[in-house]
Amino acid sequence: MADTNDTQWPVFEVFHQQARGEPHVHVGSIHAPDGETALMLAKEQYGRRQACVHMWVVPTDAILATDYEDADIFEHGTDKSYREAFGYQTTKRAREIGDEDEL
Amino acid sequence: MIETQTTKGTQETTDMAQKTTQQTLSPQIKSAVIDLLYRLADDNLALGHRNSEWTGLAPIIEADIAFSSMAQDKMGHALTFYKLLESLGEPAPDAQAFLRLADAFHCCSLVCLERGDWALSIVRHFFFDEAMAVRCQALMTGRYAPLAEVAAKLRGELKYHVMHGRLNVTKLGRGTEESHARMQTAVDRLFPHALGMFEPTEADQTIANAEIQPREADLCKAWRDRVEPILHEAGLSVPAQAQPVYGGRAGKHPATFARLLEDMQEVYRLDPAAKW
Repeated sequence: MADTNDTQWPVFEVFHQQARGEPHVHVGSIHAPDGETALMLAKEQYGRRQACVHMWVVPTDAILATDYEDADIFEHGTDKSYREAFGYQTTKRAREIGDEDEL
Repeated sequence: MIETQTTKGTQETTDMAQKTTQQTLSPQIKSAVIDLLYRLADDNLALGHRNSEWTGLAPIIEADIAFSSMAQDKMGHALTFYKLLESLGEPAPDAQAFLRLADAFHCCSLVCLERGDWALSIVRHFFFDEAMAVRCQALMTGRYAPLAEVAAKLRGELKYHVMHGRLNVTKLGRGTEESHARMQTAVDRLFPHALGMFEPTEADQTIANAEIQPREADLCKAWRDRVEPILHEAGLSVPAQAQPVYGGRAGKHPATFARLLEDMQEVYRLDPAAKW
């Protein structure tokens, strides 16, 4: 994954969390000599304009990823709708039998 | 942490009721508070301007963004102090920043010095922000409520400035031979000026007696207690027997300050009545 033409410092991917409890979202990447510095610089580069309560930096090298060439492995060749929960009408049935706990 | 006689545990709620507002300041205390506010405002204005001189020129783009953003923070802090001054009857912030002459400013010599190399600016930023943090911590528990509120407002941004300063001093102090040498040169040059941040003025005792802020000498000691271990950690030595450079609080500034003002005030002075 490393670009051998890149003469800059190692790259870190930056993730920020807009509010506690929300998922961390990938916002971009940053060059830095080490993780501590990456975090310090990312605070301004990615935190100064948008709401943020928490930030991660991850060395790009630490990320293992699939290839876009293999995007087809995620496609469903056969019907997998049985994995979806639309068949389980729990709220409707709970109302029918008066299950207060479920509601 | 500076301890004042005021807020401690259960005393806190009674103390909050006893905090003063500008309506209840006696003329003598009000004059002392104004003196303090000008020092804080002018320091932040000058340093914000100085640090903005790195915009576009910092060693790497990410550092440029961070340093420029912190310079903007400093301007915001200066404005907050100037607004508090205005509420106490002083002129409007723009007039204070852009129309006053050099000898009317009360900033310390540390913030007036030229941009220098990156090491100098980083060491200055570290020295200044540790001092602001110590001062604001003290003001937050001080008896002058409007200033305590302002200090609380600046806390988050200052926290980052302190983190940034410490990280850079440590990394550069222990980096390469060159970075270490430049950092040590900067520390040797700036330490006496940094001590000058705590130059006592006539307001010193009045403010301490009113429990608004501890004496400058006490703040200086607290500052040294924070700063020296970090310098040591960074492999940097503190100049022995450093003598503070005073004069800034009395309006006596190095020649570099006149040039800073010329630069900063030029556009505004072309047409003070202009609407931006």
